[in-house]
Amino acid sequence: MPGASRVLAWLAAIVAASALAFWLGGYATDVYRKMLIWIALALSYNFLFGIAGQVAFSHFAFAGVGAYAVVILAHKIGLPFGIAFIGALALCALLAYIVALPATRLEGFYLALATLAFSQLVLVVIDEGGSLTGGTGGIANYRLPPVLGFAIRGPWYTVLLVLLVALTLWTLVRLDHSAFGRACRAIRDNAVAAAAMGVDVRRVKVLAFTLTSTLAGLAGIAYAYVDNVINPSVFGLENIFLLLFMIIIGGSGSHLGAIIGAIVVYLAPFLLEPIVGHGFLVVFGVLVVLTILFQPAGLAGLLTWRAARQAT
Amino acid sequence: MIGGALMAVSGLTKRFGGLTAVEGLELELLPGEILALIGPNGAGKTTTFNLIAGVFSPSAGSITLGGVRIDGMPVHQIAALGLMRTFQHNMPFAGMSLTDNILVGRHTRLRASLLDILLGRRRFREEEAAARRRAAELVALVGLREEVDRDVSALPFGEGRLLELARALAGEPRIVLLDEPAAGLTQPEMARLAATIRDIAARGIAVLLIEHDMHFLLPLAHRVVVLNFGRKIAEGTPEQIACNAEVIEAYLGGAVGSAAGRPGHA
Repeated sequence: MPGASRVLAWLAAIVAASALAFWLGGYATDVYRKMLIWIALALSYNFLFGIAGQVAFSHFAFAGVGAYAVVILAHKIGLPFGIAFIGALALCALLAYIVALPATRLEGFYLALATLAFSQLVLVVIDEGGSLTGGTGGIANYRLPPVLGFAIRGPWYTVLLVLLVALTLWTLVRLDHSAFGRACRAIRDNAVAAAAMGVDVRRVKVLAFTLTSTLAGLAGIAYAYVDNVINPSVFGLENIFLLLFMIIIGGSGSHLGAIIGAIVVYLAPFLLEPIVGHGFLVVFGVLVVLTILFQPAGLAGLLTWRAARQAT
Repeated sequence: MIGGALMAVSGLTKRFGGLTAVEGLELELLPGEILALIGPNGAGKTTTFNLIAGVFSPSAGSITLGGVRIDGMPVHQIAALGLMRTFQHNMPFAGMSLTDNILVGRHTRLRASLLDILLGRRRFREEEAAARRRAAELVALVGLREEVDRDVSALPFGEGRLLELARALAGEPRIVLLDEPAAGLTQPEMARLAATIRDIAARGIAVLLIEHDMHFLLPLAHRVVVLNFGRKIAEGTPEQIACNAEVIEAYLGGAVGSAAGRPGHA
């Protein structure tokens, strides 16, 4: 696609997704907002897991660090919101870098274990944080202060979430179609050959982990003002597996797949719960196994395959 | 040491526990020279490659590239200094397109920073476009078929060899290490590969290759070094090597003084 029409396509998608915010009401808005958060998280997790090939389970922990940091800095300590926002993001980046330095030396299973341990550590800190983190009950009764003089309320907050998804997608697509993205994929496919081609494997791994974890922190900051409540259970381990299901069902390594997977897996329980109750998790499990066995490119792969067939 | 040498290997030794894989190896390589490394299985050829490319650090000795000591340097830094290689067994990036595979080979020549990439700056766009043009040229140069977005994991073995070569050349190396590049190629592919290697050398790139096929090798190489049990047993022009008694003995299993029975190298 030439440059100008690509910009138009982006603008059209952002406008359409934003317009939806003004049309939806009450409960549907809540569902839509959370779906946007899931899409943002799925996009960055897809880069880490699907493109960089790092089997890390710390994504929600970084979302939690972002959410808690911004609320504590802005509302408990009382810093100006801009400073709290930058501080929370910087904390995520710094923490991700510190975790990445030893963790990216580990391969596959051991990286998974190390990042699981880090996730548990974050949860313990939140649970035991006393009045600062609100313990297991979390923090409530705060509101997003005016940003640059504008009070962002109602559908305009949803528009902000659309922009978050757009920014996340744009950043990751740009990185993917560069030497950095190719280095990530090359390391995933064959780290020995990647090094022989001059890729600094350690540096690229640490960068990929830090960047995607910081984007998770950004989504966490946005999440903190969806319900104006945060509590530790959201950032627990159940959700990281849901995120993994989204990536696998949607199509690991594909940005489109991450979006489709997030929408399908997030919305499916609303349809399935009246029929099978909490059994929808079993449905997901079966879907994941079937995807891995018969459609490794996921739902996105199905789409591009059909498009290719129609083209010929 | 010859003044004009691009790469100089001196006293190179590698021990794995009690086994000495390479011992006291001396090598010199001039720009534009095609040097073949031959020897029976287990002679230490691939170990030598891995020492030069930085996969192993030597137990003793030194390796310099353009006057810079590279022994003990990390693999990616050696690549950045202009040393690229192919592998004995094809090692494609199986989840990536053919073009992207070749573009990874150009990694060290791409200078755009993460900020240039994120902002889509001109420096990044131009560099990327130039890299893609170069990748298309290399596809044609090595003789891969034109469909550039083929599934790399489904490439036939012979074309996988050619992809390895294209990927190594994408880094605009000063020296390439080719580990059995002709293995598995058909006769026409081999002829084309020989022409490509001559073309590479004519541009001043030094070529160090391991090869078993003498019909391919002897007309191609400028100089041949023969290894046996980790030691250099002969060096010379292809004509000298073809009639060297010790080489024939090492290859044919030693009717005279059983090479395998020599003490001290087990």
